[in-house]
This record gives sequence, C-alpha cells and structure tokens, in this order.
Amino acid sequence: MEENKEQEIQKEVSAEETPQAEKGETTDSQSENSQQPEEPKMPEITYQTLAILMKNLPNGKVKKEYEAEFDVATLKTEKGNSIASAEFEGLQAVGLDYFPEEKKIKGIPTAAGDHKITIRYKLGDWTDGKPVLLYTFTLIINPDPRVLWNNTPTPETIEYYKPDSDKAFVQAGDKNMAAASQRGRSHAHEGNSRDDDFALHFDTKTDWYALVVADGAGSAKFSREGARIACQTAKEICEAQLSKDGIAEVLDLAIAEYHKDDSDKNRIELYQSLHSEVLAKAAWSAFENIVKEAQAKVEPVKQKEYATTLILSIAKKFEFGWFVGAWWVGDGGIGIYQKENNQVEILGEPDGGEFAGQTRFLTMGEEIFKDRQRTYFKIVKDFTALVLMTDGITDPKFETDANLKRIEKWNALWEDLNGANEDGVKVDFTDDNAQAADQLLRWLDFWSKGNHDDRTIAILY
Amino acid sequence: MARRLPVYLVLDTSGSMHGEPISAVETGVQTLVSALRQDPYALETAYLSVITFDSSAKQMVPLTELTAFQAPTFTASGTTALGDALRLVAQKIDSEVAKTTAEVKGDWKPLVFIMTDGEPTDHWQNGLAEFRKQKVGMTICCAAGQGADTNVLKQISEIVVQLDTADSATIKAFFKWVSASVSTSSQKVESGINLEKVGELPPPPPEVNIVV
Repeated sequence: MEENKEQEIQKEVSAEETPQAEKGETTDSQSENSQQPEEPKMPEITYQTLAILMKNLPNGKVKKEYEAEFDVATLKTEKGNSIASAEFEGLQAVGLDYFPEEKKIKGIPTAAGDHKITIRYKLGDWTDGKPVLLYTFTLIINPDPRVLWNNTPTPETIEYYKPDSDKAFVQAGDKNMAAASQRGRSHAHEGNSRDDDFALHFDTKTDWYALVVADGAGSAKFSREGARIACQTAKEICEAQLSKDGIAEVLDLAIAEYHKDDSDKNRIELYQSLHSEVLAKAAWSAFENIVKEAQAKVEPVKQKEYATTLILSIAKKFEFGWFVGAWWVGDGGIGIYQKENNQVEILGEPDGGEFAGQTRFLTMGEEIFKDRQRTYFKIVKDFTALVLMTDGITDPKFETDANLKRIEKWNALWEDLNGANEDGVKVDFTDDNAQAADQLLRWLDFWSKGNHDDRTIAILY
Repeated sequence: MARRLPVYLVLDTSGSMHGEPISAVETGVQTLVSALRQDPYALETAYLSVITFDSSAKQMVPLTELTAFQAPTFTASGTTALGDALRLVAQKIDSEVAKTTAEVKGDWKPLVFIMTDGEPTDHWQNGLAEFRKQKVGMTICCAAGQGADTNVLKQISEIVVQLDTADSATIKAFFKWVSASVSTSSQKVESGINLEKVGELPPPPPEVNIVV
C-alpha cells in the first residue's frame, strides 16, 4: 500500500511540472537536460517583498571586528514559510559577509551609519518563474568616537586667554619637578578654553619645593582665570612665607621636633605653624586675589564666576627624610607614592558630592576655611613621586574616592606613566631629563571613554 | 567606566495616538538615535530607555548604551495610564541609575522626556508622588496636540512644551529638539554641569511652544 501511495505522489509532481517544462522527461538528470539544444532565453525574475521574522542584528562599531549568530536555515517568513536560500545585498559593501557553514555574519565594518541590508531569498518550494522575495532591515554601525572629536583652537582674543596646553620642568636639588596641563576634548570640540592650571617653584635659598594644581569649574565664566590666580598666588605666598626669617626656622624646628617625638603637642605646634603661616595663608590670599579681580572688573562680577579647586603642596628634604605638607579644596587628588614599600599617603580628602559633578571650591571663601581640616602633612623616609592631579586624571585613572587610597591603583598609574599604556607613551623619570614635561604632556592625551575633562598633573620625583 | 547620562523617553501609546502620530513617534525615536550617534559627547555618555504607556506602562527598552540601542516598534491602543508611567519611570531610575558613594562612581542625574496626547485616565497623582522621590536632572513634558492637559503636566515639571498638532512634521521637530537637548546636556555634564533650567537647553523650534 505504501509503495502505491509514493507512486501516486510522484505522478502528481510530474504532472505539475510537465506543462511548465514542456519537455516530458522530467525524471531525467539535469546533465542530460542541458545537452538538449534550446534557444537561450533571458530569465525574467520578479521580486516581492515579504518580511522575515528575525531578531535584529546587534549593532557594530566601525573598524572593530563584528560577529553575529545568523542562520538562514532556521529563518521563517511572517507567513511561516522556511527559507531555502538567501543572498545579502549591502553586507559586503560595509565589509561584512554571511558564512553559512559557521552560521555567522562577520567581518570588520568599514563605514559607520544606519545601513540598509536586503535579503533576497527563495522559499523551499521555489521554482523558476516564482518571485524572489525581499526583506530589508537596518544594521547599525557606530562611528569611532575618536574621529568625531574636533580640535578647535581657543580664540586668542577672549578675555583671560591662556594656551590650550602648558608644561614645565624644574631641575632642582635632590628631586626634579615636572608638570603638564592639557585642555580636555570636550573643551577642544567647542573651541573653549582650558580651565585647569598649575604652578611649580623651587627655592634655591631655602630648598623648599612648591607644587600647585587647580581646576576651574566648568560652569563658571572666568574659572580659567580663577585657577590661574589661585596657582600663582598660592605659589608666591608659599615662596614668600618660607623665606621669611622667623617662619622658615620655626617651621624647620617644628618639623625636626615632631620627627623626634610625634607627641600631640609637637604635632599641634607643627600644624599651626604650617597651616597659619604657610598653607592656609597661601590659600586665603589666593581667595582674596580672586575676589579683588572679580571686583576690579569694569562691570564687577561675583567671585563664583572664578570658581576653582586648589591643591597646594610644599616639600623639603631633611637629614631624617622628606617633609610634605598640603592644603586641598575640591576634587582631584594628591598622594605621596612610595613604590619600594608599596605604600601611598593621601594628603587629605577629596570634596565629593552625592551626585556626579558636585564639589567644593576655593571661591566659596570663609566656609571652606572653617568646614573641616584641609591642611595635612607627613614625614616619609623617601618617596618615588609626590603627585598632584585634577579630576581630569583622577576620574579616569582612579574612578572613585575609595580607589584613590588603593596602592594597586597607584602602582597602575605609575606603570602607565612609565609606558604601560596602549599608545606606548612613556615619561622618563630619570634624573635631569628635561624632556619629562613634554613626555608628560603627550601622556595626558590618553584615551578614556567619556572622560574628556581638562587634565593637569604635577610631579615631584 | 565613565559616568553615564541616563535618558528616559516616556511615550504615550494610547489609542488616540493610532496612525500618523504613532508612526511619527517611531520614526522620531529612530532619527533621535541616529543623530545622537554623530555626537561624540552623546555617543560616549548617553544611555537610553524607552517606556510606553497606554492602559498600563511598560519598559520597552531598558537603560541601554547608545551604541547598542535599537529603536523599538510601537502599537497604539488603550487608555492613558500616565500615573503608571510615572511610577514605572521612578522605579527604573531607582534600580538603573547609580548613585555616587565612596565605592561607586555615580551616574549623572537622568533626563526624562514625557510625551502624551491626552488626559490621564488613572490616579496619576499617586505615580507623581513616586516620581518626585527620585533625583532627576531635568523633566520635560510634551503635550502632543490640544488634547493633553498642560495643567497636569505643569504639576509634573516646570518645563512643559506643547505641539499645536500631533502630525508627523511637528512630532519630528519635537524629537529633533529632544536630540539637541540630549547633546547639549551630555556636553555640559562632561564639563561638570548638571542642567536644571529650560534656558540651558537649545531653543525649541517654532512647532514646539514652551507653556508658561
């Protein structure tokens, strides 16, 4: 019985095909068919649109390897038919192809955009004369954000113009200082000024080092000048105070006493001398100078238009080791990195907020000098580097306040500075390398997704 | 990971949006995303979520990185459960947006765009109470056409805009403005500024009227 049925079906099939082919020999093999002489006729192909039920392909990124699972054999049309064969139009043009054996669409996308890809396909029961079916979908290839960033120079005609980058190298005493400051991509894209600033000083008479970095608030109109005034004033006041008779000696003595005996009494005496005579005095003078500048304008503005953070540090070598003092308001970071003993000393606390982008500024005035302790100091035997950074660096390199205290992050930063980065940019921290500042400036160009703020770093090493 | 700028699009898909308005919204979301992909600030910081509401609210796309985002398709039917939408967006902000702590680098405060063409049909005040508990950078309400109650929207946010008609050209203009607003906002946050006032947004096109 079963055999009979099969025969019947075969009959039906041949009966259907016969009128179309008009050859009568449908059971013959194709090779025999092709031998038959016949007038060549241009095949007419008709097309019809029929949607395929498929999940969207994941988005790609230009010049970045793309691979997506895709299997024509399992696809169904919206009417539920299976698909026998398919060709892709538009895939190769963007550097991709379909690999049926691997069941994948892959390649390296060559162009960004919302690409229209058309699948031309045939159903399982397709025969000559039936329409070829079409389905078009969108494949999104994202651009490389790096090429979207413009670099528009800041117009030199603006009020308080400053160059888009700056650097300095100071060869001095037992250690050298290098600093660099680079306008962030977000400012460069719009042709806006760098708001960060820094200052370095080594006093050959007293052997005191001073390093200052400041980050002008993005929301404040003249913050670039606020940051500059803060750095310059802080540096000058430290320099002046530390060379004054009666201050330098008292401070030196207090440091030596504290080193001998770190009693509360000695700590408080040292703190008071350092805080009132040098660090807080320098910071307060910086604040005053900003207020003066704001009021001296033809049309006076509020000092908050000059809003800036400030990290100020002084250091000096004694027979027993290095003394480092710091005063800090705002975000960013300062640490004494000691590679040999795998240690870092953070000289203060960053002023963070509950939300991203909230911090405290020097220009808040009195409250900043009252709200909490901002003067910190430390005596260490020696150190690899004293590093001051604005948040353009701490955000991408440390991410959180908690990480700022973690030695692993500092080790990574130090290796990064020494060339362990994707661009292979290395800062040569050997003694007397006058190129250190240029190298540091080049290092500041590092890529970090979404982190394009101004970046400033000052290092004593 | 860098700080993200979360953007919530809360869209009315009730029955009255059927036809031209809903397909204009669909196209609007697509063009919004294509435009933002050309903007380096947005490309690196913006994250998008789409919440729709008709008889109830539904998150069509969870908060997704702009580069991975794919615009959904919409169908319009049912009533206007604005309150449920507010409740859902509040719940999603709470679970999807990171707050800054010593251990976690928080996100920027989210931007919320709410578009509706009719009067709410549910107890929207309850949803609003939930929504108010969340820290939002800026909420922009859009009354699409004359059927929406701008007095209700004014209670959700100070920033209310109105489209004279809910035709495709007008809806397109609105989404273009949303795109420009997200661009501006993602640029500002990279300089450390959270937007709070409508004056900080790009000026809306003539089809989009600010309701005062």
